[in-house]
Amino acid sequence: MSEIKLNSLVKNFGGNSLAVDNLSVTFPSGEFVCLLGPSGCGKTTTLRMIAGLERPDSGEIFCGDQTYFSSNTGEYLKTEKRNLGLMFQSYALWPHMTVFQNIVFGLDMKNESSSEKDKRFEELEKLFQLKNLKNRYPSELSGGQQQRVALARMLAVNPNLLLLDEPLSNLDSNLRLEMRAELKRLHQTLGCTIVFVTHDQMEAMTLATSIAVMNKGIIEQLAKPMEIYKNPKSLFVAKFVGSPQMNIVDFNDGEQLASSLLNKTKFDKNNVKTLGIRPESIKLTSKDNGDINGTIETIQPTGADWIVGLNISGKSIFAISSDQPPGNENDIIGLSFKLDGLHTFDRNDLKLEAD
Amino acid sequence: MVSLNPTNQNSLLIRIKIKISQLLLQPSFIIGSILVIILTYLVIAPIISIFSNSVSLTMMDAMLSGGKDGAFTYKYVERVFTSSISEKIFWTPLKNSITVSFFATLIALALGLILASLVTSTNIFGRRYLGFLLIIPYMLPSQAMATAWLTMFKNRKISGPPGMLESFGFTPPDWLAYGPLPISICMALSYFPFAFLLFSSALSKIDIQLEEVASTLGAKTKAIWTKIILPLLIPTTMSVLLLTVARTLGTFATPYILGTPAKYTLLSTSLYSSVRSNESGVVAVLAIVLSLIGVMLLLVDIWVVRKWQRFVTVGGKGIKRQPSKLGLFRTPTTIFAWLIFLLAALGPFVVLALSTLMREPGNFSFSNFGLAYWTGVNVPGMDQPGMFTSPEVLTALKNSFIIAGSASIICGALGLLIGYAVVRLPGTLISGFLRQISFLPYLMPGLAFAAAYLSLFAVARGPIPALYGSISLLILVMVVTYLPYASRSGISAMMQVGPEPEEAGMVLGAGFWRRIVSILAPLQKSALVIAIILPFITGMKELSLVVMLVTPGTELLTTQSIRFLDFGYTQLANATILIIGVVVMISVLILNRVTKTNLASGLGG
Ligand SMILES: Nc1ncnc2c1ncn2[C@@H]1O[C@H](COP(=O)(O)OP(=O)(O)O)[C@@H](O)[C@H]1O
Ligand SMILES: [Mg+2]
Repeated sequence: MSEIKLNSLVKNFGGNSLAVDNLSVTFPSGEFVCLLGPSGCGKTTTLRMIAGLERPDSGEIFCGDQTYFSSNTGEYLKTEKRNLGLMFQSYALWPHMTVFQNIVFGLDMKNESSSEKDKRFEELEKLFQLKNLKNRYPSELSGGQQQRVALARMLAVNPNLLLLDEPLSNLDSNLRLEMRAELKRLHQTLGCTIVFVTHDQMEAMTLATSIAVMNKGIIEQLAKPMEIYKNPKSLFVAKFVGSPQMNIVDFNDGEQLASSLLNKTKFDKNNVKTLGIRPESIKLTSKDNGDINGTIETIQPTGADWIVGLNISGKSIFAISSDQPPGNENDIIGLSFKLDGLHTFDRNDLKLEAD
Repeated sequence: MVSLNPTNQNSLLIRIKIKISQLLLQPSFIIGSILVIILTYLVIAPIISIFSNSVSLTMMDAMLSGGKDGAFTYKYVERVFTSSISEKIFWTPLKNSITVSFFATLIALALGLILASLVTSTNIFGRRYLGFLLIIPYMLPSQAMATAWLTMFKNRKISGPPGMLESFGFTPPDWLAYGPLPISICMALSYFPFAFLLFSSALSKIDIQLEEVASTLGAKTKAIWTKIILPLLIPTTMSVLLLTVARTLGTFATPYILGTPAKYTLLSTSLYSSVRSNESGVVAVLAIVLSLIGVMLLLVDIWVVRKWQRFVTVGGKGIKRQPSKLGLFRTPTTIFAWLIFLLAALGPFVVLALSTLMREPGNFSFSNFGLAYWTGVNVPGMDQPGMFTSPEVLTALKNSFIIAGSASIICGALGLLIGYAVVRLPGTLISGFLRQISFLPYLMPGLAFAAAYLSLFAVARGPIPALYGSISLLILVMVVTYLPYASRSGISAMMQVGPEPEEAGMVLGAGFWRRIVSILAPLQKSALVIAIILPFITGMKELSLVVMLVTPGTELLTTQSIRFLDFGYTQLANATILIIGVVVMISVLILNRVTKTNLASGLGG
């Protein structure tokens, strides 16, 4: 139960871009933090630096009052001493050890007595429904069982901090939902800090208590999931979170729509480079009754609502409507924009705040 | 990136301190650095020494012709290439080597290709067994074939007991008994299994769908072979060709046994006689020439492989080709395949064994059989003890086990350590250097490498004592020669395991040794066994590498068999070779048992 503080972390693998680029962030104690970003943005590298498996070129890492790493003082705490739990995308269960041996390995390292090991194993066996699997080898387990063994192995030593690197990406979609619930429950019972890496924004939104959106080696925004969604601090965050994506428009590409959106705000055209509107903030009405007219291109009913593809003088956008759309394909209808889903970004792709 | 503050000297010092302490905390770095130092000496120093020997005056010549010991000279280069004896020590052997290599390679290639096709893709009788039996010649020491030939075809030209045919009353002509013909045939029969292995594996890797598509388009079996399969085998053929040539050039036993009586010299035997007559300058020049030929062949091979890369179709789904029905040809092809097995594996074995059991060669009467050569009781016509009582044989047996055994254990361990350092320090200088340097010995034929070691360790240099005449030198040279295979398999084993299992242990608090013992070693168990047994097998059969380094007292079984031949004790030589064969076979069986791996992958080297 300790906060994680990263200070000016830099990691270069020798390419022309930095894997982690002067990253500073604090993950509050007891949070379920999702490190969210596209593949290759440096999530795994960051996680591995926290675990001590990768050494930063410079910067500092603290966990509570422990210094994990500091290039200022030269301190470095070995991975073995950090008392954390790490789960790999591949689980990395040792193929030559049984489920029992895998799970109690960490206790072995602490020279725990065998009665202590048995006791702890029984607890974990119950918690993760591993009954009758004790003497199996990893190759004799299903994907979901392997996952649970990996979780149990990580938790056996009561770590201060859990690090998980895309642990759900190898599972099929049903199992993934189940494991998400399991992880959430786990966080509520254990209450320890969890850093969870994913590139799936849906997973991050549903699991996290805080999301850190990462892009090209830096963290663009750290906030509660709804805050990230409602108030993205940068164009990247706005585009990355939400499905279907936020509609993005600028004055070169969709001049008419951009002007119409800009009219709703009180910003000057000179300051604004890009505008974005969430699909659910577009209300569909009959022709000439909205802020602007558009042609319906596609209608995809999802059951709960309708995803409507629209064309406004050449620019295609999506709207989500909870009511039956007021027209069919190729009909012209009216659109009105709600301010809460409308965002403006400046030349640096940063959000323009209405003061 | 955070830039350094240049005014702050302290921060720079701290940075350096951190860097060093970080590196020292990393076991892979420490292991890597130590390996770099050791290997630099063991690999680079012999190469430098041989180059310097080729152009510096020996003490002997300095005394004879005046001049300073070690002075720079072209004398030896001239002696090899232009002097009056150059014809004898270089040009004729070169010509002979080329002739023999050409025919041996051609036969080996043809046998390998035909047999691989028959075994992998047709319904000849016993294909299941042939797959294994046909690689047996590869496990026999290379002198087995040659001595078996000699036991059979020897005529009165050389001393010792007569050959079997001779005792039947038929005197084989010289051209059949000695010289290029038997050398080429024996080498071909020794080396075709290599071609057989490579062709078999290439054939099984060809995506069966390529052939199926052709047959849907109306191609018959014959068309599929000529239009699809054989063209796809071109890259393999080129590789087999070049590697077999390289092997035949470096072979010592066959030309020594079958060439010497007819004064038919190859480059390898010429190098050996120069060593025997203490011509270290000439030895160095010849060794360099042999190595250069080796390097050239290897470069051509790399070039060919690269050129044909786009040609190689990966992704055979492991579906076996339906064996084609040979119809009328089934019986003749079966006879052919089994005949080759008989000639190359069973035949030599039987001939060798018979010769040690018959008191007089060629006399098949019952009373002529006995164990005299083994027990040493009533050995006809020589004052030698038998195999079981001879102190020389016992010493050689002990030495062979000690030398091949230690070398293979060291090799296995080194291979995994190199693998560890190379894979765990990716992109660093150490990793690249280790990879390259452990491959270097591959470029030098065993004879050349041995010559280099001879010159390097003949005298004490600095803290390194003179090792000539000691068992350690033999172990050392074996370790270094087999290093390319050991490190290659070590690297690939480490790659396969990946860092994660180890990291998972690290996170749970396991220190370096603990990770090695509980995680890495068990995971690498079968890799380690292979990495030890393979060099052991090679070491037991090794001759060319050690033949010029042994001294009385450090003889191995292989060199002892050559000594016996030199003295005309054919039966004892044959018995010694049989012992080697048996030890090797047992090792191979253990290897198969323990690892269940395909021999093809292991013996490729
Ligand atoms: N061991 C490594 N060696 C070289 N480059 C690496 C290594 N690990 C990661 N990288 C590079 O660093 C960048 C970030 O990688 P990573 O942290 O794995 O991204 P993510 O987990 O977000 O997909 C990538 O460009 C990747 O190619
Ligand atoms: Mg990753």
